[in-house]
Amino acid sequence: MRSGSRMGDAMWGLAGILIVLAAWELATRLGAIDPTIFPGPIAAIRSAAQRLPASVFLDNMAWSLFRVVGGFILGAVAGTVIGFAAGWYRGFGYFARPLIELLRPIPPLAWIPLAIIWFGLGEPSKFFIVFLGAFFPIVTSAYHGITHVDPSLIRASRSFGLKGLGMLFHVGIPASAPDLATGLRIGWGLSFGVLVAAELIAANRGLGFMIMNERTSGGSVSVIIVGILLIGLLNLVTDAALAAFIRRWIGRWHGG
Amino acid sequence: MSRTGPERASSAAGAAPMIDIRHVRKQFDVRGGGEALVLDDINLSIAANQFLSIVGRSGCGKTTLLNIIAGLDAASGGEVLIAGRRVVGPGQGQGMVFQQHALFPWLTALENVVFGARSLPLAKAEKIDRARELLQLVGLEASAGKYPREMSGGMQQRIAIARALALDPDILLMDEPFGALDELTRIEMQQELLRIWEARRKTVVFITHSIGEALTLSDRVILLAPHPGRVARDIAIDLPRPRSRTDRRFNEFYEQIWSGLSS
Ligand SMILES: Nc1ncnc2c1ncn2[C@@H]1O[C@H](COP(=O)(O)OP(=O)(O)O)[C@@H](O)[C@H]1O
Ligand SMILES: [Mg+2]
Repeated sequence: MRSGSRMGDAMWGLAGILIVLAAWELATRLGAIDPTIFPGPIAAIRSAAQRLPASVFLDNMAWSLFRVVGGFILGAVAGTVIGFAAGWYRGFGYFARPLIELLRPIPPLAWIPLAIIWFGLGEPSKFFIVFLGAFFPIVTSAYHGITHVDPSLIRASRSFGLKGLGMLFHVGIPASAPDLATGLRIGWGLSFGVLVAAELIAANRGLGFMIMNERTSGGSVSVIIVGILLIGLLNLVTDAALAAFIRRWIGRWHGG
Repeated sequence: MSRTGPERASSAAGAAPMIDIRHVRKQFDVRGGGEALVLDDINLSIAANQFLSIVGRSGCGKTTLLNIIAGLDAASGGEVLIAGRRVVGPGQGQGMVFQQHALFPWLTALENVVFGARSLPLAKAEKIDRARELLQLVGLEASAGKYPREMSGGMQQRIAIARALALDPDILLMDEPFGALDELTRIEMQQELLRIWEARRKTVVFITHSIGEALTLSDRVILLAPHPGRVARDIAIDLPRPRSRTDRRFNEFYEQIWSGLSS
């Protein structure tokens, strides 16, 4: 999409969000939904703020962000390196691909019990689950990218004397950048999803923990609603930042 | 061959050919077993600074032959010599322009041309200077910062020529370089190429399926016959340049090549 219409699209998107929020607020005020189990947005924010100080929300957000960034970076580095290596070096591909295909269908959350046994309840187990969420889409996209380099570019680079690692770095990797970028965005979204789920099950801080703890300790439904909104907002903002980074990286030559 | 006789060799300047193709044969393994003979006993001597075109039906082995000269593909038999040295790979003086420009989309026009000079023992700044000079030669110095997708087909093909020239090759190998361009751009590019060829004096092997294009450009036209690819005719085009498509002798050559192709 051209950048000229990007602002316009954003305005429409914002309008949609505001309309739904207004309808929600209206529905609770008119008594169409029961505010004790589903308060309106204004009431939810007000009572959540009364129940917990802002620092608690920020603290839990910071923990979730820290875990997702850490696990994502690990998954992105491993996925990129292994995906490129498996696609570029035939022998390594034969060795690694069946292994990846075998592990990929396992939902990352199924690893939680093992993660707790191996890494305990602390941060490493969260990193591990997030790592799994990021790794598979990224390794797949890196592999796809490097195995679908336009053969005429390979030929052209050979005619200028490139081979081996020089060709990998100067042709294979840049040519794979658009595929890799897609994998990074999918991986980021998945990382976020699995982290919150992991925090719901086994954590003592983070947004997922916060909302689950509120339910099990008989706390306020408002905090749960605000927590859910914060999870969505944090994912939205960070994904937009990643998209902007990708546009700066490859947008000019690749388009989009 | 008389060319190798002592009198001939000493009398004519540059008598040793720039490119010597000797008994080149190429077969490909066919899926499901067997082999397909694509080139059979090709023999050609191409003098330095000659502009030679190869014309033939699609599938007759033109690209295969060019790739063998370029060192991108190995012959199944025979050999190619460049300035007397046997071709074992790229980088022996061959510059290549591909049918689909094959520019690197993530590099700007200038960076693509600099890439062409990457194997030369020059400092980065010298490579950039050379690339700017070449962009000027192809008339695109103002587009140095553009990416391939921001350029028209004709501009892309000019950049591809500049990139091939950046290697300062003795030989320019061109595989239907203007095949994808519209007629007007194509004629402009032909004039441009002749201008560059006259300015830089390269040995050019130019593949085309357009008889008119071959006649407009070349000193010599080779007709490649298919199944298997072999040299059917070898015609010297001794017309002065610039050439006119309405010239009587131009049309006689046209008829001669056409009859050779359709027989
Ligand atoms: N790598 C390959 N493997 C098998 N057959 C090939 C290969 N490359 C080319 N050929 C065959 O060789 C013949 C000549 O191809 P090519 O040189 O591309 O022809 P042209 O450039 O004259 O159109 C075609 O029949 C083509 O199918
Ligand atoms: Mg061809």
